[in-house]
Amino acid sequence: MFKKTTNTPVIAAATALLLVTAGCTATGTGKSGSANAEAEALAEQLVFAADGFYQDQPTQEGTTGRVRLTQDETQKICSAVARNGKRIDAQTAEKVRSLALASIKYPEGGIKLGDWKKGRELAWSGFGFRTAHNPDKHETREPGATCYNCHQLATDRTGGSIGPSLTGFGKQRGTGEEVLKYAYDMIYNPHASFPCTNMPRFGANGLLTEQQIADVMAYLLDPESLVNK
Amino acid sequence: MLKKTLLALPVALLLADTAGAAPAPEEVLQKLIDDSNSPYLTQSQQNLIIMPDNPALFVADEGEELFKQARGPNNVSLEGCDFGKGPGVLEGAYVEMPRYFADTGRVMDLEARLVHCMTTLQGFASDDKPVKSRHGSGSDMMKLQTYIAMQSNGMPWNPSQKHPMEKALRDAGEVMFYRRAGPMDFSCATCHTQTGKRIRASVLPNVHESHEWTKAISWPAERVGQHNVRSSQHRLRGCLYQMRYPNIKPGSDTAMALFLFWTDAARGQPAILPDLKR
Ligand code: HEC
Ligand code: HEC
Repeated sequence: MFKKTTNTPVIAAATALLLVTAGCTATGTGKSGSANAEAEALAEQLVFAADGFYQDQPTQEGTTGRVRLTQDETQKICSAVARNGKRIDAQTAEKVRSLALASIKYPEGGIKLGDWKKGRELAWSGFGFRTAHNPDKHETREPGATCYNCHQLATDRTGGSIGPSLTGFGKQRGTGEEVLKYAYDMIYNPHASFPCTNMPRFGANGLLTEQQIADVMAYLLDPESLVNK
Repeated sequence: MLKKTLLALPVALLLADTAGAAPAPEEVLQKLIDDSNSPYLTQSQQNLIIMPDNPALFVADEGEELFKQARGPNNVSLEGCDFGKGPGVLEGAYVEMPRYFADTGRVMDLEARLVHCMTTLQGFASDDKPVKSRHGSGSDMMKLQTYIAMQSNGMPWNPSQKHPMEKALRDAGEVMFYRRAGPMDFSCATCHTQTGKRIRASVLPNVHESHEWTKAISWPAERVGQHNVRSSQHRLRGCLYQMRYPNIKPGSDTAMALFLFWTDAARGQPAILPDLKR
């Protein structure tokens, strides 16, 4: 039924899969909705296929494309939740939350605010960790925090709306212990407060250093920061 | 030829008056806008105004010439190439791709099919410039893609799901669309499953709203900010870059899975070809 192909292992694999499942897959087209186990298995094969993504792509952290594509537990759980399209159930949420809480490390001297001006430039910068056709050179420029991609912050620059507006964040919440911890946790691993959120785990995934987190927090909370003017 | 007509007159009006004639791309878009209330479709009034003079129309004209020219070591035109509806049949071919091709045993999109015909039919080597150079209005590949895709303007997306491999890849593509990975935990769904959300100033299309998604996948399109006609493959690369993923090899089953899912998500909605984007 299928033509023999020489240099396409995925097709071969897909074919094998198909021969097993051809009889039981639905034939309807369009938005069939919930993907089945066969689709999941094939997707995993395609993600790691030698002729799909550039598996050997070097990364800034010294790993490869393959490592970037490999999911951790939180990513696995949250992918399934997103595909399912329903609200996350309480048990799954608790699991994701506990993974997040276990990941958070606090600075030795306690949580402090850094330099809001540095934080402002970090929040604005979308540079860092991009690879593909034009890898970001971290040797020449510090990776940014990309907050403006998703959030409105100080209103003199246009921010995105995937996340809520953070304009006036510090003015509204103050700088008490609890607020400091909440903001720190949100940046370090937001799944502690919002299981399966779309916001990245900037601390847990090694995207920002301790100092950078302190600077971004200052941008959010320092009364002098433009966010709070 | 078409470009001269378009430049000479407000051709949209002319075409609308001609019974049975296909609407111009900007009319297809205008109709979608009139029938919906989409912040994605309406984000640039300016772009809508310049669409009748879309630079992609010139690129398509050059593509038509290239298509009909005898070229390559075998000195034949691409009129013998089968894009799924028989050799040389271009009308409506693009809105049914990617699709399974029995002669290669693979699911192929327009770019992959062009590579196949340019190498087998015309005899180019895969690293000859016409095959290898894939990006930019000056490349043969973009000229040909724009011309061929345009022959499906206004037609409903209708990717084939008859062959089991098409169905399996589409379903795997759906899984991949929701699959989070990378240092920022992004999946396509992070940015493309809500309506009216923005990354900075860019309004994002929602995969669940087929009237938005048809514009999202209407490539080739002139990227106004880049002064170049771009392909689906180029768009995918851009999003993968922002996701901090490695790139996907063009023509791979992995890419075909994503393209089959994304085309299926616009099923039934008219294609805007060529389109013009920010
Ligand atoms: C890819 C999108 C994205 C990026 C990038 C992002 N966030 Fe978020 N953020 C969100 C979303 C979505 C929420 C809402 C939480 C939820 O409901 O999942 C959120 C919530 C928050 C909150 C809590 C708001 C509240 O009212 O309690 C803070 C604080 C925050 N983000 C700070 C930041 C900072 C600082 C950065 C940059 C270092 C950042 N975010 C980058 C998407 C993002
Ligand atoms: C972090 C956010 C983000 C992620 C994740 C993302 N995209 Fe996009 N995507 C964008 C933005 C922003 C644009 C619009 C670009 C512009 O307007 O310049 C876009 C545009 C597109 C478009 C064309 C619409 C247009 O107007 O240009 C398609 C189709 C698309 N993305 C598909 C995908 C697919 C498939 C994936 C996953 C492989 C993906 N995106 C992941 C942000 C994202």
